[in-house]
Amino acid sequence: MATKPPDYVFLDHTADLGIKVRGEDLKNLFETAAEALMHLMIGGESQAKTTDMNITVSGQDLPDLLVRWLGEILYLFEGEDLVVTFIHIDFLSLSRLDAALKMVPFDPTVHKIHSEIKAVTYHQIQVIEKGSTWEAQVIFDT
Amino acid sequence: MEITLKKLDDCRWLIPKTGKMRVPGLVFSNQKLLKGVEKDQSLLQVANVATLPGIVKHSLAMPDIHWGYGFPIGGVAAFEMEEGIVSPGGVGYDINCGCRLMTTLLQASEVRPLLKDLISSLFNRIPTGVGSKGPLRLSKADEAKVAVQGSAWAVKNGYGQPEDLERTEDRGTMEGADPTLLSDRAVKRGLEQLGTLGSGNHFLEIQVVDQIYDPQLAQAFRLSEGQITVMIHSGSRGFGHQICDDFLKEMAKQVSVKGLELPDRQLAYAQLNSDLGRKYLAAMSCAANYAWANRQVLMHWTRETFLHVLSTSPRELGMSLLYDVCHNIAKIERHKVEGDEISLCVHRKGATRSLPPGHPKLPEIYRHAGQPVLIPGDMGTFSFVLAGAQGSMDQSFGSTCHGAGRVLSRSKAIKLAKGRAIHRELADKGIFVQSRGKKTLKEEMPDAYKDVSQVVDVVQQAGLAKKVARLSPLGVIKG
Repeated sequence: MATKPPDYVFLDHTADLGIKVRGEDLKNLFETAAEALMHLMIGGESQAKTTDMNITVSGQDLPDLLVRWLGEILYLFEGEDLVVTFIHIDFLSLSRLDAALKMVPFDPTVHKIHSEIKAVTYHQIQVIEKGSTWEAQVIFDT
Repeated sequence: MEITLKKLDDCRWLIPKTGKMRVPGLVFSNQKLLKGVEKDQSLLQVANVATLPGIVKHSLAMPDIHWGYGFPIGGVAAFEMEEGIVSPGGVGYDINCGCRLMTTLLQASEVRPLLKDLISSLFNRIPTGVGSKGPLRLSKADEAKVAVQGSAWAVKNGYGQPEDLERTEDRGTMEGADPTLLSDRAVKRGLEQLGTLGSGNHFLEIQVVDQIYDPQLAQAFRLSEGQITVMIHSGSRGFGHQICDDFLKEMAKQVSVKGLELPDRQLAYAQLNSDLGRKYLAAMSCAANYAWANRQVLMHWTRETFLHVLSTSPRELGMSLLYDVCHNIAKIERHKVEGDEISLCVHRKGATRSLPPGHPKLPEIYRHAGQPVLIPGDMGTFSFVLAGAQGSMDQSFGSTCHGAGRVLSRSKAIKLAKGRAIHRELADKGIFVQSRGKKTLKEEMPDAYKDVSQVVDVVQQAGLAKKVARLSPLGVIKG
């Protein structure tokens, strides 16, 4: 992942860190949002062998699904010391997504921590269709 | 929604009740501080909190208010027990983020020559930074004990003295904690993070008392000019974040299923008088206790480091706890409303309890002086010690401000700091800083925060707390 930075911009929020993400379609939007989250948190590339994981996330609607999805990616790093290096969303509906992930163990000798993100918040969460593309806004607690 | 502020006097401003607000908003501030506040959305957040069921009197904002998520940071709101609610977003992710201050018998002149040594040794001893893990590895059974007993667990296991407990808010133990309610993830994240400082605005600072405002209160708090103090600002780490996250998701789901309308999803709540509401409070208490134990362990290691570097004895060092306060919490407390004393659930998100002299919850040693209130400045500026005052019980459910409050977003701070050596700027002021990353230093640089002196002046003027002493930083460790 992350040879080219994902397509996102910072939102200007006093206390926390927010991003605006664009995607060609919903799957691409959710993938880009997760890539942006990883990019905000961590840099550097590890040569370690990757492990695969398939995950399913459910939510009440698209904004809830986005918060829960990003929450899973964050947990893998914060709770399991795993750095997600590849994300592919296989299936996405208004209330569920299935994704395939590749991960490497966090290695402080090659990975560089950019920002601590404590949580993905529901504050001003947005997922909207804009013409032929999709846009989302997410604020993280830092 | 346009927010109109009505000036009541030089330190109080009303947000009149409009739309779906159930009560008015009350903002403690002054003209200068308000200029910064009006630029962001924090006043709208005060109005949003005022729409929540069962809110009593006012949705309150302290002078250090800034834009948070859901509730503003620097927000206080109390809810009655039958119709009222509890909201994880009104506590925050870092449950029982708080502050403790230790006094010593040392003078600044004795510490200055060894300051670099002290800071490097503290930095080596105390794990800092994102996801930092400590040398303490808890078993699940021990973690459950920490979650129930808080500071008492730490003292029982050799981290501190029994008298530390009476000098901690709620004696460092919140009643009603139930670790069986925690998710596997929360349990896992708590196992390796006890005794870690964390990152962001968390810090450990060596300070000197540089000004006394009230000699009598200063004496009661054992503070004198030129004396060395140590301040620790930390919280419940990943354990607390996970507990907040787990319950917020559950409440957001219930709000959606019940079709409740909210101005912001982050305000998701459960009725206090509901299974989910009770469970959240019992789980939140686990995190509150974890945070108190954490600060207790950090203090113990700080004391050991001082003893080692200064080659002195515990008696000569005289490092003792002045007080420990939390500033992210929801608590069931007794308050007077329209003449009757009733139980309320007081949410303090970036606000400190501020009990006046004579309050029954105060330990004997502070009964006459009032509760010590600790207001950390931002990195490189003054911190303050205040004493709780009666005005807080009359106006703010026994609460006051908690710190400086950000004025710049992190990205703006980094932009402004570009090309500047924040490290060097602080060194030029005589402040020695050791941190994991340069980025934290930039994000947390002094320009990013409100002037904390203004903030404490407002709370003193409003009668929420009295200024006792000012502390000037000498050395800081950060994540």
